[in-house]
Amino acid sequence: MTKPKMTNVSRRKVLAGAAGLGALSVLPAPAVHAQVHELRFLNAEPAIDSVRALRVAAAQYERERRVKIVVDTVPVGDAYTRMTSAIRGGKPYDIGTLIFVAHVLSLANEGQLTPITQLVNKHKWGKRILFPINGEQYWYMYDYNLCWLFYRKDLYDQLKLEVPKTWAQLLENSRKTMSTSGTQRFGLTTPVGSNDATNWMSFGYLWAEGVSLFDDKWNLTFDTPEARKKTAAYLDFFAELYKTMPPGSTQISFGNVLAQFSADQAAHAPYAGRLIEFLEQRAPQLADKYGMMPYPDQGGHMAAVNHGYDGWVVGKTPLAEEAVRFMEWFSDAHYINFLHSAPLHFQPPRLDIYDDPRWRAHPLIEKHAAAVKQMQGFLEDPNIIIRSIDTEGPAPDLRPAKIFESWVLPEMLQNKVLKNMSSEECVAQAVAGMRKAIG
Amino acid sequence: MRSRYDWVIWGFLLAGLAITIVFVLVPVLHAIGLSLHSAQSFIAKPVWVGLDNYARILSEPTFWRAALNGLVYAGGSIVLQVVLGIVFALVLNNAFPGQKLVRGLAVLPYLLPTVVVALTFQWMMDGSFGLLTALAREMGFGIVPWFERPGTAMATTIGLSVWLWTPFVTVCFLAGLQSVPQALYDAAKVDGAGAFSRFLHVTLPQLRPVLTVVVLLRAIWMFNKFDIIWLMTKGGPLGATEHLPVLAYKRAFSLFDVGGGAAVATLSFLMLCSVVAIYFRLFPLEEKK
Repeated sequence: MTKPKMTNVSRRKVLAGAAGLGALSVLPAPAVHAQVHELRFLNAEPAIDSVRALRVAAAQYERERRVKIVVDTVPVGDAYTRMTSAIRGGKPYDIGTLIFVAHVLSLANEGQLTPITQLVNKHKWGKRILFPINGEQYWYMYDYNLCWLFYRKDLYDQLKLEVPKTWAQLLENSRKTMSTSGTQRFGLTTPVGSNDATNWMSFGYLWAEGVSLFDDKWNLTFDTPEARKKTAAYLDFFAELYKTMPPGSTQISFGNVLAQFSADQAAHAPYAGRLIEFLEQRAPQLADKYGMMPYPDQGGHMAAVNHGYDGWVVGKTPLAEEAVRFMEWFSDAHYINFLHSAPLHFQPPRLDIYDDPRWRAHPLIEKHAAAVKQMQGFLEDPNIIIRSIDTEGPAPDLRPAKIFESWVLPEMLQNKVLKNMSSEECVAQAVAGMRKAIG
Repeated sequence: MRSRYDWVIWGFLLAGLAITIVFVLVPVLHAIGLSLHSAQSFIAKPVWVGLDNYARILSEPTFWRAALNGLVYAGGSIVLQVVLGIVFALVLNNAFPGQKLVRGLAVLPYLLPTVVVALTFQWMMDGSFGLLTALAREMGFGIVPWFERPGTAMATTIGLSVWLWTPFVTVCFLAGLQSVPQALYDAAKVDGAGAFSRFLHVTLPQLRPVLTVVVLLRAIWMFNKFDIIWLMTKGGPLGATEHLPVLAYKRAFSLFDVGGGAAVATLSFLMLCSVVAIYFRLFPLEEKK
């Protein structure tokens, strides 16, 4: 029997070696760490699919470029507050999501944003979706967020109704589609409360009629005799339409509109593509029974969709160049993946996307191809006006934003439908409110 | 004589003082400073305007409307909370089967987060499918316009605040009731006092210290209460529920008027301080010697 060969490795030596290795491993660490930048990304799309799309992109970017992307997610309404708090706290976000043009303007004016004009100009964009500030682009848009009207196509077929082209026709259809047998169904739902939903969903009729808030010289065109007359007519129409709406309209917000249309409680509802996604998830029996139309005008000449928009900005941070590089990479490699996280709601503002087979390959986009075509048509049809309160005027400015935020127009509706005030008086109060808001 | 625990007392005192300075005094002074400046956002460089913001705010009808709304909301909530709080405390002070369980349940609303309560009630008061709306309709009240009229919106908000915060008042009064000596009631009975007379001449005077503190605390909290109103109505409809905290928030965070918002907040603070000072003069916490 041979005695096992003894090696000269002792426990002391092993421990000493391990300690030495540990010490050596620390030496190159600063060099390695110096190569790994960390970009802070503020996301304001809290839906799980959108967060996942961003995280997947972040992980891939870190693998490829050794740049870590930390994604913080906040509710959409808190994005600006979070961005300004981060700036005040000395840890500004390198990339952030903003949903309000005045917030971009405010940050740009304070020198807190990096222009991304070159990146934006690489693509062709739809109309009224870019908001240059002093000739520079600061916002990379990912969503048009247009608002139009949905109607129940099956009810229209059943009642032999035509798609309305005028206020009177819409009112008539709204009355006819009401039902009190079984579960009560109302003609149309739309918010009238003091909130953003009302600003987004309830004034398309006014834009279709050609009413605007400002001209190119910042004169308040809403205060012209013609606009006052048209607005008063709109209020008269709205008061009649209100009689076909479910009670509790002052409390209605985005979620209620989705719920009421999908639960057969309203035959018409304003919204964007989110409503189709909602029907697919929650009321699949209605997912092929909807129709879409822009807001009609009084005479059947023009139509409108209410404008919305969402996009990303790059902060003026020490890593701004790196952030722009990421945005460049992201807009090529993952932009479509992100759009697919809400395939019908995130209506592409970049026109090349509509022809991109990768984007078109999403099952929901394929299934609802007719709706997608109509959405695209809203951008191309010269008879469809795209307008919103906060983007009025010749350039981004705080004046329309203040009108938006002071809820002057929702209160005009409330004066009409809750207080039964004369339409002319409602308009006069709205004009006074606008003048007060803009100073 | 100095206690060997003096350093502990001083330690707690200093810690409390430091926390008060950092989290109360500094923000208050900062807000007052902001109210003397004009700024469109919290990252903009403020421009000194002196008392201009105050002059502007005080000349606006919306400020006075908000002040009045605040008084109506706080006053209505406090009166109902105190009256109901005393009634519930009197009921819960009696022995009955399941008393402990009911006492526990009575506190439940106070333990719920405000946001949960707001969302739940929004759902229950939904105009078309709300549980309370349907119940009212079934009971023949028609469709109750919970938030559709300026008056009903304020009443609904007050009602909700009462539901949420009455338990606090109930608990305070219940504790107070248990410290009232039984001998006083026995003596009153011997003197021929009825139940109401005993409540008026024995219970209420004995509860006075508790009542003074509870009314003061509720007044401060309700006057500054922001969350429930913002979550339920955002100050609408037509500004009917917009009180000073909501107005201050809207100005500072939505209307690009940080200085104006800070001025509203400062004026609100001063108004509250004045009311509290008057209250202390009228209802001193310590008996005068």
